[in-house]
Amino acid sequence: MTVNPDPVQLEILRNAFTAAAEEMSVAVRRTARSTTVREMLDYSTAIFHGDGRNIAQSALSPMALTLAPCLMEVLDHHLPADDWRVGDVVITNDPYCGSQHLPDIVTFRPVFVDGRRLGFTGTMAHHVDLGGGSPGSYDMTAKEIYAEGVRIPPLRLYREGRLNEEVLALLLQNVRQPAVLRGDLMSQIAALDIGERGLRRIAGKYGVPALTASAERMLDQAEAAMRRAIEALPDGVHEFSDCLDDDGVGDTPVHLRLTLTIAGDGMRFDFSNSDPQVPAPINCTFNVLRSTIHYAVIAALGRDIPVNSGCFQPIDVVARPGTCVAAIAPAPVVNRIQMAHRIVNVVMGALAKALPDRIPAAYYGVSYVYMLEAVEGDGGRSIYFDSEVGGWGAEPARDGANAFSCGVHNIAAVPIEMLESRHPITFTTYALRPNSGGAGRTRGGLGLVREFMLDAPTGTFAATFDRFRVPPYGLAGGQPGMTGSLTLLRQGDARALRSKVSGLRLQAGDRIRIETAGGGGFGPPGERPAQARAADIAAGYLSDD
Amino acid sequence: MASRKSGGRLRMAIDVGGTFTDVQVLDEAGGDPWAFKTPTTPEDPARGLATAIAGAARAFGFDPADVYLLVHGTTIATNAVLERRFPKAALVTTAGFEDVLEIGRHMRRDVYGLHAETRHVLVPRPLRFGVPERIGADGGVRQPLDEAAALGIVRRIVAEAVETVAICLLNSFANPEHERRLAQLLRAEAPGLDLSISSEVSAEMREFERMSTTVLNALLMPVVSGHIERMAERLTATRLSAPVLFVQSNGGTCGPRQAARQPAHLLLSGPCGGVLAVEQIGRRLGEANLVGIDMGGTSFDVSVVRDGRMAMVTEADVDGSVVRLPMVDIRTVGAGGGSIAWVDRAGRLRVGPESAGADPGPACYGRGGREPTVTDANLVLGRISPDRFVGGAMPLDPAPARSAIETRLGAPLGLGLEAAADGLIRIALANMARTIRLSLFEKGLDPREFALVAFGGAGGLHAALMADELAMTRVIYPLNAATLSAFGLLWADIAHDLSRTRLTPAETGAAAKLAPVLAALMAEGDALLDGDRVAPAERRFEAALDMRYRGQGYEVTVPLGRAALDEGVLGGAIADFHARHRERFSHADPDAPVEVVTVRLRAGAHTTKPAAQPFTPAGVPAAVKRRPVYLDGRWQDLAILDRASIRPSEPVEGPAIVEEDYTTILLPAGWRIALLASGNLLAEKPSLEC
Repeated sequence: MTVNPDPVQLEILRNAFTAAAEEMSVAVRRTARSTTVREMLDYSTAIFHGDGRNIAQSALSPMALTLAPCLMEVLDHHLPADDWRVGDVVITNDPYCGSQHLPDIVTFRPVFVDGRRLGFTGTMAHHVDLGGGSPGSYDMTAKEIYAEGVRIPPLRLYREGRLNEEVLALLLQNVRQPAVLRGDLMSQIAALDIGERGLRRIAGKYGVPALTASAERMLDQAEAAMRRAIEALPDGVHEFSDCLDDDGVGDTPVHLRLTLTIAGDGMRFDFSNSDPQVPAPINCTFNVLRSTIHYAVIAALGRDIPVNSGCFQPIDVVARPGTCVAAIAPAPVVNRIQMAHRIVNVVMGALAKALPDRIPAAYYGVSYVYMLEAVEGDGGRSIYFDSEVGGWGAEPARDGANAFSCGVHNIAAVPIEMLESRHPITFTTYALRPNSGGAGRTRGGLGLVREFMLDAPTGTFAATFDRFRVPPYGLAGGQPGMTGSLTLLRQGDARALRSKVSGLRLQAGDRIRIETAGGGGFGPPGERPAQARAADIAAGYLSDD
Repeated sequence: MASRKSGGRLRMAIDVGGTFTDVQVLDEAGGDPWAFKTPTTPEDPARGLATAIAGAARAFGFDPADVYLLVHGTTIATNAVLERRFPKAALVTTAGFEDVLEIGRHMRRDVYGLHAETRHVLVPRPLRFGVPERIGADGGVRQPLDEAAALGIVRRIVAEAVETVAICLLNSFANPEHERRLAQLLRAEAPGLDLSISSEVSAEMREFERMSTTVLNALLMPVVSGHIERMAERLTATRLSAPVLFVQSNGGTCGPRQAARQPAHLLLSGPCGGVLAVEQIGRRLGEANLVGIDMGGTSFDVSVVRDGRMAMVTEADVDGSVVRLPMVDIRTVGAGGGSIAWVDRAGRLRVGPESAGADPGPACYGRGGREPTVTDANLVLGRISPDRFVGGAMPLDPAPARSAIETRLGAPLGLGLEAAADGLIRIALANMARTIRLSLFEKGLDPREFALVAFGGAGGLHAALMADELAMTRVIYPLNAATLSAFGLLWADIAHDLSRTRLTPAETGAAAKLAPVLAALMAEGDALLDGDRVAPAERRFEAALDMRYRGQGYEVTVPLGRAALDEGVLGGAIADFHARHRERFSHADPDAPVEVVTVRLRAGAHTTKPAAQPFTPAGVPAAVKRRPVYLDGRWQDLAILDRASIRPSEPVEGPAIVEEDYTTILLPAGWRIALLASGNLLAEKPSLEC
């Protein structure tokens, strides 16, 4: 039975699906407990077609695109769709079963109407702690995933509406903040319920045939739009490579190498020649690679392409299992965002060869994740966890933005006054970093400087940064952005640190200075108009020498 | 023109909007308010305001000298922000943090954007000065203010010839000493300079938000005081000598001195009139829960009145700039009569957010607009009359509307004219209904427990259809919907919102630490009410505490019901906090430590208000016209009524069209509309269940 939905009904149903995903999102925000979910908004919600394809999503981070292929992975390899019943809730956090890293728990629920599986609802949330060798499950020294926390394979936390208390107890026994984890998990499950109600409301109002037909049509439309956008690109084969400075264990760069083939209305991203996986948590799984490429393509090709599973059909991703971009168990992956940043840099670099007038130079490409555990005189501890941003790459017709979330990174800075009221630290600088933007006809955006002092007697510092040696590239003759740096200031001495440190002992009065990378420049610097240069000097973005 | 018979006192309200300046005058001796409209004069809004007063006085035969109070809603501050028309300004902050204003919270809105969204830098880098000093989070002085450096900065600012200065130092909410000293130095060197100090504008934690608010306030000071001066001159010429009160973003009024000193409080003055009207209509009808929808030419604004009071927020974004002040909660989407429909590259039919605006406007205006809009669709479907738009002052031409819909939508989508026009409206309705649903859902509220209040030129056409989408069964169509904002201003009360962050664990002894903060706010409130010449007996103080579980990054505002703080009151507030936290976030943890973040005080006065008068129906004879209207997928011959012909005892059944000069009401099948004693129309859809 096929119903051909008219364009009006199609648009109204699209609106209804999106509204259902948004309501799920509000439900999570309203009921979650942790700072990661409520303030950093590190979660997403989605609505799926009965066969598992994604039709609507609500998210603030591009990394949320992994949620949809995760459901496919679960259905194809772990729990076949026919075995899902009314009231089931399936959860997993295993990066080797579709999640990104262990702190992210995904949940799915099937939606049935009149005994027929109509769709799924899903959520993903970053939890405060899943156990493992370090608070937050960010063990920067992990050599294997076993050090990163509890691994939950896809399993039914609820079977026909009944909670499996024993599984939940096993999970809570292994994490540092069980009450918070339980609260956030229950809020994810409440959102599944809100989404289910939304889908039922749509089915009740428009009928199951119209709902199904509209979902199909939306997927087809998205695919057709992506094919048209690719078709408009010149056919060709483009190579691009970039790297991470090192894995924090050894001292050699980790290379990502891409061969992009654009042919007709399809694209193929081949990462086969990338370096092998490393014994440090900067690898990513194939699902993260694929979703990161999807994000970059959507960003590069324009806004009229509806984002659902359909639009990714024309994109073929190839990688060799066991490489840094398609790691196999038991490689550690908690800091997979490092690799995701570099994947975006590489994909954009290759796309720039096909779209030289559209793609900006490289952005800062590091999440600057760091952690300070302060120990007070009375033994009291506080854990300060943060991340930072840098400069955007110069756009062909406009300077890059200064100090602004870019690429797979989208976070809000926590107010300094809030941090000082919670932790024994005092900030001494939070400022733009002059001269850090790559020179060019248009200038790369500036990175920033963040410096704070430990007020408690002792502390331990850890960081996983990058772009200390290999800077964000410029394009079309533009200069690269300035590399970042990390410095320990102690009693008048400045000691340069490596990009990845762990277990660094601090004492009262020590200051940590973080300087983040600027974006690459675009076009030859000699072509920069004199007045633009003068304006940069007047604004202090560039010093006068 | 009419001549005034009673000699009652006159209360006047003037709402200066983007297009029109609306006046309402209430004779306290009785009768309905008089409504009057003139075009706004954007280059000097005070000129249009004076014209409006003189025009209303002529039309209704009163002497402006008999007006005892003028309440003014203004978009002067908002427009300055939208148009970035700012004077030259400087910012003084803690050395090392000069770029906080530019870095902001650095999160982008557009997840998939390849190009960075524009961020407005309110004060450029060379005019941001860092002074060596440091206050700690606990208010202690970590580093004394460097007086010599401060003086150097003051001299550089004077040399730069700026008009206005913002001062915002880290942790100044906990200890304003350094900010005050800097202000003193600046005043001594440059007495004429406008000065905005963060611990006075918004003494709350979160440095970027406080800085952004303080800087906006500084930028607006010269703009608003200029308007106030020009207004005073114009008013003298109209013989109106009554005190003027300005409506602030919180729905309360303040006097001109306070408006000039804290103009950031005026940023949502404009939209407040409509929400005040919704509140007043609710009071009049005994309705505690209302959703106001204001649909004009370019936007659709949703406000919520719950338990009789407008929903507020403590922070909002005004065209990309963050303002941390208590303001009415208004959610806006780009969906109005002028919203343009288009077919995108993926073949989707989209409506808005681009608008045809007033010029060229919708295709049917005949001014060269080629894009089909919501108004064009309504005209093509017979839902609005071509010869009664804006009271007949602006005849509409269906031919270009038809052609725009056929060529731009019908042909590419394979739809007939009616299907395309009807589809355009249904898609716009779906967008608007989604906005209402989300706005309530975020607060944990159910649309079915609310009545809609429809206003703005296009509200009446769409409200009942929207209610159908949301399973809402009651819609109120206010009297004088075209000047409703001005009507709302008539009922505004004096209200000053004051706050101060004092992070305090809610444990034994906390009340003693917080009581002095409240006392200081009370003193500040008293000083403001002195300025408003409010007698002590009429003063009303309401205190509240922003509270959270220790470690959380967001707070819940807990009203104390009065303005006193002792251990008993604090204990009650803690219990109330757990309950409110559960209501809003669906969980609470009575064993977890709670902290007080900010003390809030509203200092106000209940101005005496005239009793509402019963409405006198105009008694226009019921001359029912008919015309074909496309509704529910077919052309139907519908009754077209004049609003003034509806009688109190004779409700009208839908489907029908009700017309008045500035708006049209579409009543779908299944709805019944009745005239209430207040003059408002109430449409109801009887429940199908028995």
